[in-house]
Amino acid sequence: MSKRRSAALTGAQGVSLAQKLLRERLCHQKLPDQPVGLDSQYKHMLELLRRTAVHGESNSVLIVGPRGSGKTMLLGCVLRELMSLREVQKNVLLVELNGLLQTDDKIALKEITRQLHLENVVGDKVFGSFAENLAFLLEALKKGDKSSSRPVLFVLDEFDLFAHHKNQTLLYNLLDVSQSAQTPVAVVGLTCRLDVLELLEKRVKSRFSHRQIHLFSSLSFSQYVDVVRAQLSLPPDFPDPKFSDEWNHSVTKLCDDKTVEEILRRNFNGSKDFRSLHSLLFLAVSRVSVSHSTLREADLIEACRLISADSKANVLHGLSILELCLIIAMKHLNDTYDGEPFNFQMVHNEFKKFIQRKSHSIHKFEKPVVMKAFEHLLQLELVRPVDSGVCKVQREYQLMRLMLEHGQVMEALQKYPQCPTDVKQWALSAFG
Amino acid sequence: MSRYITRLRMRRTYKWNGRPIGEDRKLKRQYYESMSISVEGKTEDATVSLGQYILIEGDDDDNPFVAQLRKLYTDGKKKSAVVQWFVRMCEVPQNKRKLLGRDPHPQEIFLYQDRSCDNEVDGETILGAVQVSYVIICFYRNLLGNKVDLLSDGEDGDDDDCFVPSKTDLQSSSDEEEEAKIDSEDELVVKKCRGSRTPRSTEKTRVSARTPRKTPIKKTAPATPRTPRHATPSIPSRSAPARKPGNVLEEARARLHVSSVPESLPCREQEFQDIYNFVESKVIDGTGGCMYISGVPGTGKTATVHEVIRSLQQSAEQDEIPHFRFIEINGMKMTDPHQAYVQILQKLTDQKATPDHAAALLEKRFSTPAPKKETTVLLVDELDLLWTRKQNVMYNLFDWPTRRNARLVVLTIANTMDLPERIMINRVASRLGLTRMSFQPYTFKQLQQIITSRLNRVKAFEEDALQLVSRKVAALSGDARRCLDICRRATEICEHSGSQKNGSGLVGMSHVMEALDEMFSSSYIAAIRCASVQEQLFLRAVIAEFRRLGLEEATFQQVFVQHQALCRVEGLQPVSVSEGLAVCQRLGSCRLLLLEGSRLDLFLRIRLNVSQDDVLYALKAD
Repeated sequence: MSKRRSAALTGAQGVSLAQKLLRERLCHQKLPDQPVGLDSQYKHMLELLRRTAVHGESNSVLIVGPRGSGKTMLLGCVLRELMSLREVQKNVLLVELNGLLQTDDKIALKEITRQLHLENVVGDKVFGSFAENLAFLLEALKKGDKSSSRPVLFVLDEFDLFAHHKNQTLLYNLLDVSQSAQTPVAVVGLTCRLDVLELLEKRVKSRFSHRQIHLFSSLSFSQYVDVVRAQLSLPPDFPDPKFSDEWNHSVTKLCDDKTVEEILRRNFNGSKDFRSLHSLLFLAVSRVSVSHSTLREADLIEACRLISADSKANVLHGLSILELCLIIAMKHLNDTYDGEPFNFQMVHNEFKKFIQRKSHSIHKFEKPVVMKAFEHLLQLELVRPVDSGVCKVQREYQLMRLMLEHGQVMEALQKYPQCPTDVKQWALSAFG
Repeated sequence: MSRYITRLRMRRTYKWNGRPIGEDRKLKRQYYESMSISVEGKTEDATVSLGQYILIEGDDDDNPFVAQLRKLYTDGKKKSAVVQWFVRMCEVPQNKRKLLGRDPHPQEIFLYQDRSCDNEVDGETILGAVQVSYVIICFYRNLLGNKVDLLSDGEDGDDDDCFVPSKTDLQSSSDEEEEAKIDSEDELVVKKCRGSRTPRSTEKTRVSARTPRKTPIKKTAPATPRTPRHATPSIPSRSAPARKPGNVLEEARARLHVSSVPESLPCREQEFQDIYNFVESKVIDGTGGCMYISGVPGTGKTATVHEVIRSLQQSAEQDEIPHFRFIEINGMKMTDPHQAYVQILQKLTDQKATPDHAAALLEKRFSTPAPKKETTVLLVDELDLLWTRKQNVMYNLFDWPTRRNARLVVLTIANTMDLPERIMINRVASRLGLTRMSFQPYTFKQLQQIITSRLNRVKAFEEDALQLVSRKVAALSGDARRCLDICRRATEICEHSGSQKNGSGLVGMSHVMEALDEMFSSSYIAAIRCASVQEQLFLRAVIAEFRRLGLEEATFQQVFVQHQALCRVEGLQPVSVSEGLAVCQRLGSCRLLLLEGSRLDLFLRIRLNVSQDDVLYALKAD
């Protein structure tokens, strides 16, 4: 029966099913089965947390790695395996905090108390003042002992932000508990800052075990391509074997392609983390439709173009000719005065010189019109005032800076639809 | 529910009843049989007479002292009384409570026979009479550590017989009290502890128990628990017990954990002795004093003080020195310096109060003379956190011990040696006095001794490995915690490598080296080596731009120009500004670069957080 149904999957169903599966994978909704390239760290973490859960040994550890290097994923995988142990399942309390959410110790304490379901919690409310909560929690942790009370795992995401709390009270107390014969705790901090230990006060630092797990990806490019292939392939238990075979075959072929390799290498050179890779692949996968049910290199090229597009280049395309001329005038000013700030009057003069000298296609604009165009550029933040208007200067004489790179202007000119030739020439000429 | 505090504010007047029954010419005293107390706003007078149980004003308004009146006399000016003290369960030291062997009734009182406390009180502190019901005379081990002969087993049996009816009585009486709170008067159950008792006094209590009280002067509810939904702080217990260490390495690891309490504290004998002598002398003399202890983290300050207190408590238990109370507060474990008062008060009397009220109560407690006061030893950890602008918390902490009747010993701990000079104003520093001690960082020999004594003949380390760890830590910080942590990590590494190749099974040099490397080596170089090509190029561009400018700071725009040029040199496709900015932000988020003013976009200021040489070294190697 099921076989008949699976065979009956139409092309459209197959495509949408495959897309759903891949999207789940690429949007980090599901933990991967095994963390890629982090085996030793995985073992270390698992062993550490297992000892807390099983032996009641208190520990503290920091996981340090750049953004997108898989810190949360690693911890998620470790916790998943840990919780699947029968010995551990009912024996561990987990408290998860995030430095971006718990911005001070008061909120953090309430959250800890809530997640531990201590006795001063009714429903979702925590009773008592900040001082009472702290005393209560410390008393609770102090009463426990190594052999009889449940170990508590504290996960502090964005650990560095906790170090900015007043007096670092929370960190001191958690780490102090981890270094004294009280309820066994494991304090796991996740951070992307390499200098996080320098943020800790010395008495807090002394209580931290100095155990740091670094996640630096040392992937080579060929491993990277392997990961891409694995990420895009459909699993063997996909309901429609014919579709998945075809799909997997096309993915393998795609990865060997020269242009695709170039795109991937470019991405790899930019950053090695998987988050940026996932966003690239996600865009490509989304372009698959019923009409072409496999992933093609054109999809990847398009996705790459979208991802690597300069954010300001798009803004420049929407400008009027007058605004573009003003930008060019500013560029010339930048060249002549070596990046010194300018004001509207200077830009206007430069523009007038150009009009007088060789303007055939652009007619003369009144000064208020030019001013209006200039203000539009100000609104788009393509120019910015040097100091945000502390002193009262007439608007024409306020000093400004151009927020565009030389290259960005030239590129925009190349792509600008129907750009007058004399404007182009003006932009290319070495002097205004 | 009237509280005694309201009564305190009422004026009481005291008057002798009848003629004096005797006179002592030498002392110019006249003895009386009874005294009447009239309270403002009450029509009836209360009378207290000899042999009756009375309440005496104390520092806890809810629980005044209880005593039996023995003598009443006047020396012409002042009315005085001689009393036999009784104590409530809450006044009995914690470590003696368990000697009772059962749960006490909340209203139960015990005979107090310590000669150290004054049995003469001012007659005007008497609050009134109290009725004592259910006099149970039993033979019981002395609860209060007086010198009493222990009872033989046979007599213990007697006391069991005695208890059975009394318990049921207690229950029924407490039930009654809850139902009829308003008209029940203070009922206290006397539990006599037999010591050097005279039969006369037992007779007396019987008499007083039989005689109904003539004049009920006050109505108080018994001290039943005030908050019925009082939450107890606790962590749920685990379903399966924790596993015990299995092999030598696990055993060693458990012993090396900072939390495990060692049998003794090696290498701190001198400091131990100094603190011990200080506290002991103060406890014996019944005076007060302050001591300031300083030292860098991990040098065993708190551990030593705890060790001192432990051994002092032991000798107090053996009655070598008078009893004392130990209270500990930690500046880091409170949210606000003024919470110190609340915590001290709560630990002393189990009362809850606001900081201001607590300060007032403590002030009163430490400044008024009170009978049967034992010395309080107060440990203030992380003293520097108690700093406030007016420094009133510190001032009070150091001022109380100087009061005549305070009997308070304050031990303070902080990290910095010159804290008194640096942050304290003169009047605070002066009160702290000059009793100071500083804990030096451990030397490598001491660290080695600490580990060896902790391991206590569990053979898990090679001698050389231990020496390496202690030398390294001693050179860096002298922090014993660090030393123990490294050893612990080394055992883990040894365990892992041990499963692959069979070594001696001991933790050797290589394992220790690896652990040291993990903990002390800077991660910047590894981070640069593992960075992506563009990130490495960007760092190189930063250095190139710094060299060009001759400054240690550049804007993003300047660096980006260099970056583009480098890309071309390396044969890579130049990146767009957005991508370049993303690379820059990534480096900034792991603090390889320091970024300032990220809203400035192209004019973002960039500085290096690593030395240029480190960057070049890291980039050259590959």
